[in-house]
Amino acid sequence: MWRSLSRAGALLRGCMAVLACAGAGGALADPPYRLLGQPAPDFALHAVSGVNARVSEHRGEVVVLSFWSSRCTPCRTQLSMLNRSFVTYQSAGLAMFGVGVDDDPKRALEFAHSAAVGFPMLLDPEKGVARSYEVDNLPMTVLIDRAGNVRYVLRDYSPANDTLYLQELRALLNE
Amino acid sequence: MLLQTELARRPTRGIPRRCGAGLLAALLLGAAQLCSAAPPATLVVDAPPPAAPPPQAAAPAAAAPAAAPAEGAADTRGLDQDIQGLKKDVVDLNKDLFILEEELLFPANTQVAVFLSMDVGEFFALDSVQLKIDQKEVINYLYTPREVEALLKGGVQRLYVGNLKVGPHELVAFFNGKGPNDRPYKRGASLRFEKAVGAKYLELKIDDRQRKLEPEFAIKDWE
Repeated sequence: MWRSLSRAGALLRGCMAVLACAGAGGALADPPYRLLGQPAPDFALHAVSGVNARVSEHRGEVVVLSFWSSRCTPCRTQLSMLNRSFVTYQSAGLAMFGVGVDDDPKRALEFAHSAAVGFPMLLDPEKGVARSYEVDNLPMTVLIDRAGNVRYVLRDYSPANDTLYLQELRALLNE
Repeated sequence: MLLQTELARRPTRGIPRRCGAGLLAALLLGAAQLCSAAPPATLVVDAPPPAAPPPQAAAPAAAAPAAAPAEGAADTRGLDQDIQGLKKDVVDLNKDLFILEEELLFPANTQVAVFLSMDVGEFFALDSVQLKIDQKEVINYLYTPREVEALLKGGVQRLYVGNLKVGPHELVAFFNGKGPNDRPYKRGASLRFEKAVGAKYLELKIDDRQRKLEPEFAIKDWE
């Protein structure tokens, strides 16, 4: 009886160790973003301002897509950072879109109005665009080059990422 | 978005399939020949400059440096022309492949294409069109201001292309936008049509009805 119990305990400890290892591995390495280097999926969405936007109409410009949600706290900070870069580089051929993935359009509208950014805020309540861009974390920022290919992705936001983002953005604008 | 100014243009008219395959093979062969011809041109540029004549006389030695830049410029110009020619071949090949792909995906005997055109647009600002064939949604297209502008200038958009079997079918289109007095406006139009052997072309038309001061939506069957 005691032997079988201790054997079950050892098995349980083994399973927990395996799970812990798997969890640590998952946390360490993000799965690769499959769209890198691929043509950016085209989409058209309603904007908060009422004018529809289609991403393929901005071929020839560097396009930044920022996926946000009203429940995501760092999204607001990131949107204000993106807005600063938009104001700086808009004249150099930068187009930027915020894509809200909220289920509740009312909350999304409130958030979009309160964010006070200069670029169009689009609404994707059905999450079709988020699925096509394989959004797995919020905020997530995708950089698309002038030829319409996905070139860089930021799957998280921290102030340390600002420098990386600006480096990539300037490199794309200079191409 | 594919805006086509000529509605009656048959997408299948370009090249017959067999002929298209032959042309494709010929183009591929031509591109391969061009590719194989390109390296010598590159080699000319990369090659070291021609050896200067022996310093027997002062005059030829002075003329050699002046001749070398001119020769290099001519080489570069030739290389540019080769590259431009290659790019043109690639574009032509891409066009032929697109036509062949369309012919394979949408054979003429099952093809159904739905076009959209808009005239005036004083009483209706188009936002989106939802299309259902046999009660199944096939497309829901959102229009941007640029696309609407292109339609108002006389453009015709190929909204949908698909395959249908021979027999009776029903097409229902829902038009969303802003109507008179900037109010949200949604209208539908439907058409029962018979699909025969051969391609079927339908056109969604948005017109202004001046007498009633409202838009008019119709579906036209291009026999």
